[in-house]
Amino acid sequence: MITDAAYRELQETLGAENVSREPAVLDGYTWQPFTDILGLPDSWCRYRPAAVVLPGSTEEVQEVVRICGRHGLQFKAMSTGWGAWNAMGGENTVQIDLKRMNRILEIDEKNMYAVVEPCAVCSQLQAEAMKKGLNCHIIGAGCGSSPLASATSLCGYGWSGLTTSYSARNVLGVEWVLPDGEVLRIGTPGQDAGWFNGDGPGPSLRGAMRGFMGACGGLGVFTRCAVKLFPWPGPEEPQVEGLLNDVTAEVPDTHAMFLIAFPDLQRWADAAYSVADAEIGYMMCKNAIGALVATMMPRGLKELTRFAVFKDILKTLRYQFQFLVCARTPREFAYQKAVLREIVEECEGICLDVSKLPGLHDAFWWGFVRAAMPPLIFRMGGTFGTSYGALEGFDHPAYQSQEGARLKSQYTETGRLMDDLADNSWGGIYEGSTGFGHQEELYVYDPRDSAQLEAAEDYLAGTLVDTAAKKLGPGLGFAGGAIVAEIFGPLIGDYHEWLRKIKGAFDPDNVSDPAFYVSPDPEKLIAEEMANRPGMAQSLLSVMGEEDTP
Amino acid sequence: MALQDMERDMAGCSRCSSCKWIPHNQVKSWRFAQGCPSSTRYSFHAYSGSGKMIMGLSMLQSRSELNDDVAGIIYNCQLCGSCQVSCQVYRDDIDLSDVLLELRAKCVEDGFLILEHMEMLQSMKKEDNPLGMLKADRGRWAEGLGLPEIGGRQVEVLFHAGCRYSYDEDLRGTVRGTVSLLRDAGIDIGVAGKDEACCGGRAYELGYQGEMRNFADDMAGRVKASGARTLVTACSDCYYTFMYLYPKNGLDLGVEVLHITELVGRMIEEGRIEPAGEVPMRVTYHDPCHLGRRGESYKEGWSGGDKLLRPVRFKQSGRLGVFDPPRDIIRALPGIELVEMERIREYSWCCGAGGGVLEAFPEFASWTAGDRLEEAAATGAEALVTACPWCVRVFRDAVTERGMEMKIYDVMELLASSLGGA
Amino acid sequence: MTAKSDCVKIVGEESVLADKKILASFARDDGGSQGSPPACVVKPRSAEEVREIVLMANARGYALVPVSSGEPHSRGDTVPATEGAVIVDLSGMKRVLRMDRRNKVAMVEPGVTFGELRDAAAQEGLRVLTPLLPRPSKSVLGSALEREPMLIPKYHWDMTDPLMCVEVVFGTGDVFRTGSAAGPGTLEEQWAVGCAQKNPMGPGQTDFLRLVQGSQGSMGIVTWGTVKLELLPGVEKAFLVTADEFGALQDFAYTILKFKLPDLCLILNGAALGAITEKGGGDMPPWTLAYSISGYTYMPRERVEYLEKDVADIASAAGVKPARTAGDVDAGELARMMGAPCPPPHWKTRARGACREVFFLTTLDRVPAFLAAVDGEMSAHGFDARDLGVYVQPIRQGTGCHLEMDFFYDPGSEEDTRKARALHEGVSRACIEMGGFFSRPYGGWADLAYGRAPDAVAALARIKDILDPRGVMNPGRLCFGKEG
Repeated sequence: MITDAAYRELQETLGAENVSREPAVLDGYTWQPFTDILGLPDSWCRYRPAAVVLPGSTEEVQEVVRICGRHGLQFKAMSTGWGAWNAMGGENTVQIDLKRMNRILEIDEKNMYAVVEPCAVCSQLQAEAMKKGLNCHIIGAGCGSSPLASATSLCGYGWSGLTTSYSARNVLGVEWVLPDGEVLRIGTPGQDAGWFNGDGPGPSLRGAMRGFMGACGGLGVFTRCAVKLFPWPGPEEPQVEGLLNDVTAEVPDTHAMFLIAFPDLQRWADAAYSVADAEIGYMMCKNAIGALVATMMPRGLKELTRFAVFKDILKTLRYQFQFLVCARTPREFAYQKAVLREIVEECEGICLDVSKLPGLHDAFWWGFVRAAMPPLIFRMGGTFGTSYGALEGFDHPAYQSQEGARLKSQYTETGRLMDDLADNSWGGIYEGSTGFGHQEELYVYDPRDSAQLEAAEDYLAGTLVDTAAKKLGPGLGFAGGAIVAEIFGPLIGDYHEWLRKIKGAFDPDNVSDPAFYVSPDPEKLIAEEMANRPGMAQSLLSVMGEEDTP
Repeated sequence: MALQDMERDMAGCSRCSSCKWIPHNQVKSWRFAQGCPSSTRYSFHAYSGSGKMIMGLSMLQSRSELNDDVAGIIYNCQLCGSCQVSCQVYRDDIDLSDVLLELRAKCVEDGFLILEHMEMLQSMKKEDNPLGMLKADRGRWAEGLGLPEIGGRQVEVLFHAGCRYSYDEDLRGTVRGTVSLLRDAGIDIGVAGKDEACCGGRAYELGYQGEMRNFADDMAGRVKASGARTLVTACSDCYYTFMYLYPKNGLDLGVEVLHITELVGRMIEEGRIEPAGEVPMRVTYHDPCHLGRRGESYKEGWSGGDKLLRPVRFKQSGRLGVFDPPRDIIRALPGIELVEMERIREYSWCCGAGGGVLEAFPEFASWTAGDRLEEAAATGAEALVTACPWCVRVFRDAVTERGMEMKIYDVMELLASSLGGA
Repeated sequence: MTAKSDCVKIVGEESVLADKKILASFARDDGGSQGSPPACVVKPRSAEEVREIVLMANARGYALVPVSSGEPHSRGDTVPATEGAVIVDLSGMKRVLRMDRRNKVAMVEPGVTFGELRDAAAQEGLRVLTPLLPRPSKSVLGSALEREPMLIPKYHWDMTDPLMCVEVVFGTGDVFRTGSAAGPGTLEEQWAVGCAQKNPMGPGQTDFLRLVQGSQGSMGIVTWGTVKLELLPGVEKAFLVTADEFGALQDFAYTILKFKLPDLCLILNGAALGAITEKGGGDMPPWTLAYSISGYTYMPRERVEYLEKDVADIASAAGVKPARTAGDVDAGELARMMGAPCPPPHWKTRARGACREVFFLTTLDRVPAFLAAVDGEMSAHGFDARDLGVYVQPIRQGTGCHLEMDFFYDPGSEEDTRKARALHEGVSRACIEMGGFFSRPYGGWADLAYGRAPDAVAALARIKDILDPRGVMNPGRLCFGKEG
């Protein structure tokens, strides 16, 4: 609940048209996919915001934050606001919807960065960047996501990470409204020295801002951010007809998509390492065959999976990558193709030149470059979830992909989750020669079916237990809310206690909703979680029982 | 159908917000990436297609209640269908536009009415048009043309002018010129004259679904009386009503329905109309929502509870609307240059007039039109051409309000000009 | 009890130095910094000993000044700002704990120098990402922790590179592993499931590495770190592009950097190139862009061939001419030289015996404006422009650059020394006023940099209070006070 006095202050600050506490409006911020991570019976998150506000400037964000502080309210900011990690952590939380702050403030062509507000989305940034021969990182959620949000507040593997890295590693200058309403400008903008750098002077406050994962609104509001851009060796204004799978496009002669597949896990991983060593490719990413078929012809897959023989045929292609070459010149194109073939041969794989497949190549080319395909994953079952996904040397993601498929097959084979052939890991290698990578195991279900939702939660809990037991990288489990820190913290150097101190230092009054960051009151949090999701409690407790002292 | 029949659709929303944008594969700039006027103008998620579905579900599950504010959000929407197109790029199991229609029906059912809409309904009931004009004046637009009227001799083609063209004196010249050129080209065309009435689609869209049937029955009666095998309209709203709303509600006019641009385009292709006069102009074309994506014919033939199992051919993707005929006509005009805006065809931006917005929320309608005019101006075009009287009206008013130089034409006006007509 | 005896208890007599001469040597450095002589120098051999030292310091209130590289030091961060400090000399922790060819990563202790790691990496066909001509005693981790720019911008994705994970003893005495090294599991358990401690982020929602990096030892002491390595080229070809004006190199540099075509890529003025190569005297070209192109394990010759042609096309469009030599300077020889530590005397001191350096971050397009300002300052201070060495190192794949101006002077001349000092101060002030970003604010730069960033000072104080609440770690550095 929000008091009339607090509400009035918000209205006076932002204008009545930019503030609402209408329950039906608030429910627009309460409904989210991926609620399996919260152990909920449907897509309604546990708490409805007390009010929602639409600030239009950094100054207005500051005022909102201060009003919340004065009135004992918490706040939680969102950009595009997609996913259960946008959920409120409690009753008295004001949702800050940053949709009005949606500009691309600058694209520095020479120095390859863009300064963006929270609700400019990746498709917009990419379109503008391409006009200057540049491209941006786009996270796996796709081009409808906010580059600022993934860079400052969430996590972000991207399809083209081979050339565009990981969202958190592309952050330059940042403007940050702290939970007390003060503005902190990180890096060069803090000294009116432009936006080209985010580290220093001295220790980098990017470190406090976020880690592998962001604080998901638990540490203030990010109002501007500069992100690194990358070369785009393609047309400045791509000529594209069609909306998705029907896309036809003028694909440059120096671009081509390949499907490369290998006989086993080892040689699949070997190929990833070799590509990193060779420094070729624009994108290297596994989109599992099950997922591809599921998104292209969902009803077809449902039919096919009734027959073991078809499943076996499809599974022969499980160790594969989609490999995109976007070369700057014909010479580079020829070289990259030749090296790719050599690597595939060395790893005893097959290399299918998708550009020879009419009807598919254009859609794949633009679909992967624009990253417009991700919401297709909803097509098969209504929603999906994801698991594992640690960033490490590629042998580890390869290991995790096996674990995911093994664990999930128990659910797909029994019909508890939709049959995506169990092998539905997504991810690739990143940063060129660096060659670290990730594989996250997706699972598909219909959230309208409570039994499937329950199975999803059950599977997810199983992955956490597996992660702890086998000492795997925790990966996307970090997105599972503040409880994850309490579960895994003791296994990971008690990192959660350091997080708690940072939270305490920057937000002593706990004004910024910590639900997906770290709780100032862990005992209360654990008690609530155990009460809220008793089904998962046992699994979580078993993880907490694991012993490890790094 | 009622809101509760759409529960699975609403509960299927994954809140990806695709409905706010044009399909991302077609985003060409920061400036013209938005698809939903309502969400763009008012920002709260509730104004988006997704937000409205979530509101609907919320009310259905008694989490929240319908009230004037919520009704205001539901009606601050042109029902342009942009959200549906973008949603269906990814989803087979959600018919977003139908949800929006049912939300309005619920508003009416529960008594949350918009004053201006009630006035439209009153006018429709009393005068057979939503514009507050006299029924007796309905046929005046065609006076002096000597067109056969129903009740007289039978015709091959019945021309339905629609309410806006019938009454808007500023626009009358367009339809007068249009029917003249058709007649001159040898088409046996007739009109309903003063007996023409509203198609009723507007009542359905405003939530008064039951009211449409009377108008539909009348429409069917006039078509039958005319003896026509083809019904032609120049109004995109009427076209949508004939192509989607009537069949969706089990109403069959029993004749071929064409938008005027389809008929004329066909005639140009056949050489029956030969535009010869130069139209030395750089123009851009605005796809009317109800002619384009919403003009796609209703896909009959599937019934089942789980739309995840519904074959794609039954989806209202919006891709099969009328997009090319108006462009073909423009391209057939000597000396004209057609330049496209960024948001076109099924992912076009709305003019702002639809869904009762022009009447109830004129400032929002004008804002929406203004956004489109800026997009048109960005192409370097000196004129925006469209194929719907509602679009022409709202654009012309918006141009005047803003003091812009942009000229606004119905495509038939340009054709008439080329042919030496009005 | 004294600091010395406390340290002896932890590491033994032989690993604690208290010789007055040695202590005095730590009270100043070659960069002109003056401080207090430490109470002793302690040389731990393990993380456990480091931890005990930090706990001891907390208990007794000693200041700790961690030092990884051997002498000579020059940037002031190793000079105690307070009396009675303990120098924690990590140069003896010299183990290369792991060399992983497949993941191209090495795990090293802080005492490992570039030369040592270079040799170890080469055995696996790998190379170390080095700054420009580090002195032989320079610690790999010390350099990386200070965010020294590396010579190959295409491998510099983010400012933390090439550092990936570290084990750090915070100022609290807590031992912590950053990034994916944090766990779950021991290092051995992580290796068993394919991990290589290669994810520098986290764990969780904090980048602990970033809080330690750039801190000049004021947050904790790193006891090992993983650094990413790259392949030794199978074929390498180096080129030089010369110009009379810096600006003439810009378009070419931006383009080749954008597409990550060169390995080595840096720009030097004549004085710097002359000092490095010890050739040419005054005949060096005013500006030289040095770059190399390489082939690795797959079709290396073909890679170099296509790159050479592609880069030639870019050069032609940019109006510059790549060549294998420039005067007496051979590009290949220069590239080979840069792959190794700098033999003494260090190139910066070769011309006149000493050097005052001013460096900061900016972007390539702004370099000419800074150079013009420096010209003005040199005129004002009567400094001979021929004694200015300029080194421009593109960083982060060309999205920024390290601009370094080295003022060579004769330390034997009081006037020279005074001029150099005054110029150093004047140039520093002028450059920061113009937007030069002193991301590594040594000595007096700290006041200049932090004076302009009060918000950052407040935020860093909160971090410091968490990681080093008693202020034992190198007090008086950066924006942190001398008092614990």
